[in-house]
Amino acid sequence: MSVVGLTLRVAVISTLIVAPLATIVAALSWRARSRTIIDAIASLPLVLPPTAVGFLLLQVLSRNILFTAAAVVIACAVMSFPLMFVAARAAIDSSDVRYFDVARTLGASPLRAFSTVTLPLAWRGLLAGVILAFCRSIGEFGATIIVAGNIPGRTQTLALAIYDRINMGHDSEALLLVMFVVIAALTAIVASELLIRHQRRRASR
Amino acid sequence: MQCRSDAKVTALVGPSGSGKTSLIESIAGLRSASGRIVIDSISLAELPPERRRIGYVPQDVVLFPHLSVRDNIFYGGRDRGRFDSLCHTLELVPLLDRSPTTLSGGERQRVAIARALMTDPRLLLLDEPLASVDQPLRERILMYLRRVRDLDVPMIYVTHQQFEAVALSSWCIVLRDGRVAAEGRPREILFADPSSGALENVFEVSNPRHEPEKGITRVVTSDGLELVLPHDRVADVGFPMIVRISAEEIVLFGERPGAISSRNLIEGTVTAIRETDGIVDLVVAAPSPIRVRITRSAADELELANGSRVWLAMRSRAFRIVG
Repeated sequence: MSVVGLTLRVAVISTLIVAPLATIVAALSWRARSRTIIDAIASLPLVLPPTAVGFLLLQVLSRNILFTAAAVVIACAVMSFPLMFVAARAAIDSSDVRYFDVARTLGASPLRAFSTVTLPLAWRGLLAGVILAFCRSIGEFGATIIVAGNIPGRTQTLALAIYDRINMGHDSEALLLVMFVVIAALTAIVASELLIRHQRRRASR
Repeated sequence: MQCRSDAKVTALVGPSGSGKTSLIESIAGLRSASGRIVIDSISLAELPPERRRIGYVPQDVVLFPHLSVRDNIFYGGRDRGRFDSLCHTLELVPLLDRSPTTLSGGERQRVAIARALMTDPRLLLLDEPLASVDQPLRERILMYLRRVRDLDVPMIYVTHQQFEAVALSSWCIVLRDGRVAAEGRPREILFADPSSGALENVFEVSNPRHEPEKGITRVVTSDGLELVLPHDRVADVGFPMIVRISAEEIVLFGERPGAISSRNLIEGTVTAIRETDGIVDLVVAAPSPIRVRITRSAADELELANGSRVWLAMRSRAFRIVG
């Protein structure tokens, strides 16, 4: 499998896992109405060295997952989780709790009020989180190389491949891969910006 | 605090910080409160807000900005018949496809009220619905609120405007520092105190008897006063209706003046006098309280004191018809 294809697939799957999971954890933390131990643990991978996270994953993952594409996905998911979590928490926090309250007086359960009112109103921040998490997955290096190694065709993602090419002195190949990463990241950012503008136009109609 | 079940609308008045909003948020379940909240012998305090069936329209309205007006209203319930009749009553049909962000203050109020009523509430709580609305629009919204009153959903109406309390409610509770300071019929509670600053006398009138040949219409206020209004102004208005007259428009006599058909003449007794800066504010029991404002020299000339017998003259054209 090509490096680019593997990287994109890993990033998409990792983001699909992380986005709902981190949003749910952010919602639970919001509902507690205070910063809790959940917040601290959820944000931990953001501040730890990626190699430290990789080491911890190495201890908990079973032997048959290590050094497979699944291990890459897990490493990316763990590393990008805090970005999605922090973005979702901030987005939910900034949405006025009165919308949630009024929805409940209108007969909505907390779950319904949250999913039909609070979440849609926070979607801009959530989207920012998804894009951050996606880009983080594309670029993940430290934890990945420890739990999945750097096996071409199996676990070698773009970031690892760039590292490889530089080590081997293949600078022109490295440049090609770097350009691809830049294009992918720019595309994600521009797409989200367009989406936001489109929504704004619809809202102001 | 108790609301009487025979009062369709209970007005909750009091200065800001007296606990009005806290109280109704507790009833709606958005604020934990010690004590008991009981409706129809159902204890609400233990129920979560979604199971209380209390319609709540906060002062800042809080329409969902990501939903259309139609979807906002349907958020409270899916009953199509109820939806249609509320949209008709509150004249919302032309607004249904709009986004709430494009509505005026008065339109937002009406949408929020319809949304709250879709839940078939046991009680409707309105927190100062006219506070964010410009003066010319207030009387128009008051008309919608009186239609809502006629839907027979009991209502608690928070306000600090005496005028609104009198125009809408039949029972009035005054809060001060989180306690009930007074309660009673709104006119008696709000106009009997000369320091309350009420400069407007407000009456709800009904039973019109039109006498077009004299140019007048005779009506009766909710507290039994007979009034004469200009026929041309009230001929097309539905009854009951609200009229108001400023305390400064009322002329005071110490003896019975000559009768004029277009003039209201009411006999009463002075029950309170308050003087500030050459202006004298009076409360006259006729027998329900009427506020009168006169100059110091006029008061001296009449030798007014508590218990003085006076006649109040009100030109029929001095009444403002609110509708």
